Amino acid sequence: MLIYLPIAEIPVDPFVVIFMGAVVGFLSGMFGVGGGFLMTPLLIFYGIPPAVAVGTEASQIVASSVSGVLAHLKRKTVDFAMGGFLVAGGGGGVVVGIFIFRYFRAMGQIETFISLAYIIFLGLIGVLMMVESLRALLRSPERPLPRRKHRSVEWMAVMPFAMRFRRSQIYISPIPPIILGFMVGVLSAIMGVGGGFIMVPAMLYILKMPTNVVIGTSLFQIIFVTAIATILHAAANQTVDIVLSLLLLTGGVIGAQIGVRAGRRLKGEQLRALLALIVLGVCARLLFGLVTPPASPFIVVGAP
Amino acid sequence: MMRLAAIIGVWFAITSAQAADIAIALTNDHVEVDTGFSGARLTLFGAVSGVEAPHAGAGVDIISVIRGPATQFQIRRLQKTGPIWMPGAMHAIKGAPALYLTNANRQITDIAPLPDQAAYHLGADFLKIHTVRGAGETPEEMQDGAHNEVFAKAFVTEARDAGLYRDRIGGVEFKKGALFTITVELPANTPVGEYSVAVYLYQGGMLLGRDEAELVVNKVGIERRIFDLAHDQPVTYGILCVVISLFAGWIAALAFRKS
Repeated sequence: MLIYLPIAEIPVDPFVVIFMGAVVGFLSGMFGVGGGFLMTPLLIFYGIPPAVAVGTEASQIVASSVSGVLAHLKRKTVDFAMGGFLVAGGGGGVVVGIFIFRYFRAMGQIETFISLAYIIFLGLIGVLMMVESLRALLRSPERPLPRRKHRSVEWMAVMPFAMRFRRSQIYISPIPPIILGFMVGVLSAIMGVGGGFIMVPAMLYILKMPTNVVIGTSLFQIIFVTAIATILHAAANQTVDIVLSLLLLTGGVIGAQIGVRAGRRLKGEQLRALLALIVLGVCARLLFGLVTPPASPFIVVGAP
Repeated sequence: MMRLAAIIGVWFAITSAQAADIAIALTNDHVEVDTGFSGARLTLFGAVSGVEAPHAGAGVDIISVIRGPATQFQIRRLQKTGPIWMPGAMHAIKGAPALYLTNANRQITDIAPLPDQAAYHLGADFLKIHTVRGAGETPEEMQDGAHNEVFAKAFVTEARDAGLYRDRIGGVEFKKGALFTITVELPANTPVGEYSVAVYLYQGGMLLGRDEAELVVNKVGIERRIFDLAHDQPVTYGILCVVISLFAGWIAALAFRKS
């Protein structure tokens, strides 16, 4: 059976697409990550035009974030004030990201650009995660963890308009959250990711937010920013394939349920090492695709 | 019933003429391609006249040519830039139809002489395609004398790989008497628009007659509606995508809520 994707304009086997959604859903459930940064490359490997993969992923992240956002709202673990500034910055970032996206699309280099962006980010994050988890795994259990010094970030203390974020119990300027939101928004628009993998560490280590509100606030930011990205990708590029998105979601929710259970059996460091391996594998595959001579040196565009 | 009417119509049109000739009729000059399937089938009905017992192997050959609407294609060559392969300058393709399908009862090279093949474009290789060189060409491309030919040839190869251009032996079926049908498989990515259909009747390498018809291809089905909405009202479509995503995500959350 084949389904013709209306925006990607290619026929696909729906069960293969659902299965792909399930695999990424499984991984995201297991590792507690969004999965956008794995889904977009996987779609590209499958043959979905990269621009459509990015636009579609934005809408799929909206759908797959709903359950998490609802759960955190119920538990009151969302800092709305912080989330609001992150979304404000994120909205601006998405607009800039869409302009960059359009620029490279008009030049006809969007495929190369998306691949390169992924290679750089996946490479950096994969190496960092691998080093960190290997260190944790190799550390002898007798020696206690070297306690990290709690340094206050000096440049943040001098920022103006400092205000109190009640739920996070911090007193900082809203400028760093806006800048952070902006940068993640740009990435979100260009790469079709939620950006949680950057947002969460930044909230913990730069904004010094308490752990219990970080995930909820990050999800709150992601659902708004990816919703804006979905609308702008649809409006500016016509690259959001809702049929593809719903197929991926179907597999994704099922895979995530299984993944969460599987993740409970593994230790944190093992999980991170495993995720780092997957991230580096995807990065290597993308790099391989760019450097190997193509089967056919010609590409035809501007189909009917 | 419609088939019968078409066949009878063709039959009368034909029998009134004396010399060998060919005529086709389309049961419906609006073909609706349901995009939910992997392709559609188009059946052409026709009749030949002035030839004795065409179905009994009287050496009669039939070729059909389906030409899609003219489309703006562009072709680019991947070039090694540093360590990576990047698409190079964009060259416009002129004179290329969006779809080009030929059907014949046997190898076209055995049916028609070469001048005819070229004159009637019997096969995608005979299409008059040329390229308009784009800006940003590499020095090698600019020095490439056969540049135009190389890119036009490459385009036809790529279009064949995409299933948009195809020369097929088969699909032609001689029925009772002077009647025949040609069954054409349309690919899933059949573009919409106005098509022209031509049939050629050959015997012993001689063209005995030809006929033409017009055809409009529409796409129906939910996929087509989504495509139209996404291109005609992109903002509405984008908002709708967000609403659908939120709703689908909510349903999924309900379905898997911990009991």
